[in-house]
Amino acid sequence: MSRIVTLQQSIMAEDERFAAAIRESNERRGLLMVNMIGSPGCGKTTLLERTAQSSGLSFGVIEGDLATNRDAERLDRLGVPVVQVNTHGGCHLEANVIEKAMESLPLDSLDVLFVENVGNLVCPAEFDLGEDFKAALLSTPEGADKPLKYPYLFSSSKVVLLTKIDLLPYLPFDMKMFSEDVKKLNPEAPVISVNGMTGEGVQEWTDLLREKIREKKTHAR
Amino acid sequence: MHEVSLAESIAASLIDLKKEQGWGRIVEVRLRIGALRQVFPEILCFAFETLTKGTELEGAGLAIDDVPISFRCRDCGACWAGDDSLCPECGSMHRETVAGNELEIESVEVEEQI
Repeated sequence: MSRIVTLQQSIMAEDERFAAAIRESNERRGLLMVNMIGSPGCGKTTLLERTAQSSGLSFGVIEGDLATNRDAERLDRLGVPVVQVNTHGGCHLEANVIEKAMESLPLDSLDVLFVENVGNLVCPAEFDLGEDFKAALLSTPEGADKPLKYPYLFSSSKVVLLTKIDLLPYLPFDMKMFSEDVKKLNPEAPVISVNGMTGEGVQEWTDLLREKIREKKTHAR
Repeated sequence: MHEVSLAESIAASLIDLKKEQGWGRIVEVRLRIGALRQVFPEILCFAFETLTKGTELEGAGLAIDDVPISFRCRDCGACWAGDDSLCPECGSMHRETVAGNELEIESVEVEEQI
């Protein structure tokens, strides 16, 4: 004899508990947390370096990479509090890892905590880390067709950053298609074009961060 | 999607529940997976089968119900299926996702413990 038992529970229940605890603690502190997701080499670390140099914002970074401390060293040189997490082959970060990494950061003195996720457009988008929002990064050499090919990331992010825009004159990047596809997936997400090397467009990004930080601090309990 | 992580989570929850509830063999696990979640059903089933081999869950089948995407307009309240970005009634871009994000264990078929 068998019977059916209704459960209706989330598959990721365990992970969601960690994410909820992180969200709750950030809420109390009024600390904004942003999950930065993009391909390897799309310019995530470069944008964070530029943000450190030009914004005056106080932020910390959790760096996710399969191997090496290279990204953490780059940010450390600029005086950014940073923790490197090596996933040893894992393609994304999960909330339990983030909770642990946060313990080594001076959270009370930060305006923003960035998680630079493992370079990958697929899995990192799926795992809730307790962040306020995801930022999707795409660099122009990757091609304008990518949002529709990786729809979950682009539809679940609050902002889309198009990086390496200085290369546009040399690439067959179809800006119209890119903009239309992002709009279709995520009508409300702003698209910000940046060049992390020169700082072009970075002001618009930091203005958005400032606005989100303000909202977060206002709602802090 | 990371099918192996999902399979591990499902197996871990089931082993806990089985012990807690005193179930016998688990025959089938029914999942609801939203179309937005990039889950490859064959890989998920293969991962689950492989992970549970030699455990108390061995032989439990996975049945996957796909949940299509649907949105609701935050301005006029209209609901629509499919992936149109704008509200078909009022043209608003203020939409919320009402279905398509599911990653749920809907139910399990269990045998009574003998």
